[in-house]
Amino acid sequence: MTIFDSKFSRRQFIKGAAAALALPKSFSSNPLVKPYVPETGELADVVVASQGTPAQLLQAAMAPLGGMGRFVKKGQRVVIKANFAWARTPEQACTNNPELMAALIKMVYDAGAKKVAVWDHTCDNYQFCLIRSGLKKTAQNAGAEIFSGHGQNVYQEVSLPKGKMLKKALFIKDALEADVLINFPLPKQHFATEVTLGLKNMMGLTWDMESLHKIDLHQCIADISTIRKPDLVVVDAIRILTTNGPKGPGKTEDPVQVIAATDVVAADAYAVSLFKNPRTGKPYLPGEIAFIKNAHGLNLGEIDLSKVRLKKVQSA
Amino acid sequence: MTKRIPGLRPLVQGLFFFGFLYLLFRAAFPLEMRFPVDLCLRLDPFIGLTTLLTRKDIFFRMLPGFGVLAMVALFGNFFCAWFCPMGTAVDFFDRVLFREKKRSEPFDDQSLRRLRYGLFLFSLAGGAAAWQLLSLIDPISLISRTFITFVFPGATWAYNHLLVEAVGLLSKNPATLSTVPLPVFKAGVVIVIFFGAVLSLSVIRKRFWCRYLCPLGTLFSLVSRLRLVRRAVGEECTGCQRCVRDCPVGAIPQDDPLTYRRSSCINCFQCLDCPPKAVSFHFSRRGARPAPAVSMSRRYALGALGMGLFGALAVKLSPLRGKAKLKNDGLIRPPGALPEDRFVSVCTGCGECLKVCPNNALHPAFLEAGLDGIYTPKLVPRIGYCEELCNFCGRVCPTQAIRSLELEEKRLVQMGVAHIDKTRCIAHDTDKTCLVCNEQCSYHAVLLDEKKRPRVDEDKCTGCGICENKCPVDGESAIVVHSTGGQKRLTPQPESPALG
Repeated sequence: MTIFDSKFSRRQFIKGAAAALALPKSFSSNPLVKPYVPETGELADVVVASQGTPAQLLQAAMAPLGGMGRFVKKGQRVVIKANFAWARTPEQACTNNPELMAALIKMVYDAGAKKVAVWDHTCDNYQFCLIRSGLKKTAQNAGAEIFSGHGQNVYQEVSLPKGKMLKKALFIKDALEADVLINFPLPKQHFATEVTLGLKNMMGLTWDMESLHKIDLHQCIADISTIRKPDLVVVDAIRILTTNGPKGPGKTEDPVQVIAATDVVAADAYAVSLFKNPRTGKPYLPGEIAFIKNAHGLNLGEIDLSKVRLKKVQSA
Repeated sequence: MTKRIPGLRPLVQGLFFFGFLYLLFRAAFPLEMRFPVDLCLRLDPFIGLTTLLTRKDIFFRMLPGFGVLAMVALFGNFFCAWFCPMGTAVDFFDRVLFREKKRSEPFDDQSLRRLRYGLFLFSLAGGAAAWQLLSLIDPISLISRTFITFVFPGATWAYNHLLVEAVGLLSKNPATLSTVPLPVFKAGVVIVIFFGAVLSLSVIRKRFWCRYLCPLGTLFSLVSRLRLVRRAVGEECTGCQRCVRDCPVGAIPQDDPLTYRRSSCINCFQCLDCPPKAVSFHFSRRGARPAPAVSMSRRYALGALGMGLFGALAVKLSPLRGKAKLKNDGLIRPPGALPEDRFVSVCTGCGECLKVCPNNALHPAFLEAGLDGIYTPKLVPRIGYCEELCNFCGRVCPTQAIRSLELEEKRLVQMGVAHIDKTRCIAHDTDKTCLVCNEQCSYHAVLLDEKKRPRVDEDKCTGCGICENKCPVDGESAIVVHSTGGQKRLTPQPESPALG
């Protein structure tokens, strides 16, 4: 994985910049902009990296997808939809892993992003969430801005022509207008929806989250993903919450995995297997989770893992 | 001292006023100030005195106030003219709104001057009978309350609107700066009307409030009879009456400007602007002979005390008590509040807890807590809930009517209990899965049955009201917190350490 070291991309960047200057405009395809094709030749859809530090896991998971350069081009604005919805500490696994978030932000900047913004609409008081999760410090140290959607002025009303139950929603403007949207969920057990994953994470970009429960939660989760599909999904499964979700605190497990994917439905379809279905005692099947089925029904992605290019790698 | 530095007093007043505002402003998340944000209230010896009477124990929070009192006894009353935020506000509006009109015409104010002492004794007797009349008329509490319930929400509203306008001008940039949650306080209107009335009294006389009503000023007057910094008038006095006109508290009698009312003087040093330079202030046991003090008959003093006691009794037994003291009185008190009777008598209604509450959960009661519970804080969960990992209200309470608790302790205080209205609840009434109350509950007190319908575990519920607040049912929530007639301590749940 050494070719994905930041050193390499910086060199590549300088070369690319020199080339861009030297070549006439019509040829000016910045080499950095080209997706980097790994040795295997074919790009994967879902990559599961295990074993290693958060930064190593992220590197390993991104490489078979084509590296961050495939998603983030120079000078773009990137929005990361993280999960810091609750005033909990990182050890309690109710909010994102700070080390992984720092690594993700760094990787996005290394790919040439102009500005990275981290967003979530918190459930607990936003000030307590930002401090207690440690993510405000993490994001700011990594050079990213971190915002919570506590004011209605940062939302924009959008209509959902493809939505089955939800026809209108207030959606964070920045996430609509950003060049790249990265979905950065944390798998947790969830009383209402069995599990919370990438699709559910997108709920935190809307204003009136509670009212979705009233309409039809599973369908609304799927409907929200029709507004804007994330360009990249990075599932933070280093430590997951297995009981008392989503707020916790509860029991945690340490799968020490990072799942990177281009297809949010497929990522969720894989990530459900991290949890055991209490009825059967076996890991959940994607079809047992209604919102994943609904999202597949809206053609948002592939639920059948045999139909996607799934790759498992070990980073250490 | 014989010379006055022009502009010095307004400067000091302005600085201290902004200090006062800054402390109020900082009574907010994350509450990490070096010195206490309720400092202004702790410096108020009248609050100290009445708290002494109502709480019947001294505690160190109120010591600064008694320090101020000792200083006043030594140097005379310097507080009102130089430091009091209420005095500054009164001075400011005097200058802006009611510039010299008929106000200097002489009138016999003996009865009004007496009223001030009568009111002081009245509120003291009321305080001894656990009726906190002070909460209405203590100047520091009054101005804090007004700014917290009216001025800060107004400023927040203005900020939010200006922000949206400003962002609108930058068409290309995505709006990333959120507006600030707007605090609302229903009783704020009543509070600001009272404040406005106090200010407009100045139309009759300069600093009308300060010279005839303010109980804190009265307390200072009582002790500043002993003062060592005294005013003297020399032979040069031509009787031009300038000092009589200029004195903001009418401490210099018109018929005898060589004297002054020692207890009324607030050391503003305005009278040093004397054309023949006859006036001076000295450290001395002598000085000008004091003008005749306020004549308080024994009948008047005893009457005031008796009225205070009777008033307290009447208020305590008043049918206007609302639902207070009933089993469900609708009054959910902040976590760590003293038992209801003591709470209403100790709380000064200063509003610090309303300001510091991050979720706008605390609101000043109006009449629902009875006449004696006016402006005491109560939790209104549908507007805001009590944040799990927050103990700010107790930490800023100057009189500790809300006790300052550690987070572990605070998490175990049961303020009330939530109940589910099954006819309104989405999960009970329809077959949809809702469970907002369950996922929001910080204490795992909302449990599920096999059909994913919520029910409340009363041994875990603290009555924080997050469930009532977030319940998606329109209008009244389907899960409502009821008070249980007193707070109690829950047994800790070992299996889920939230503070881990």
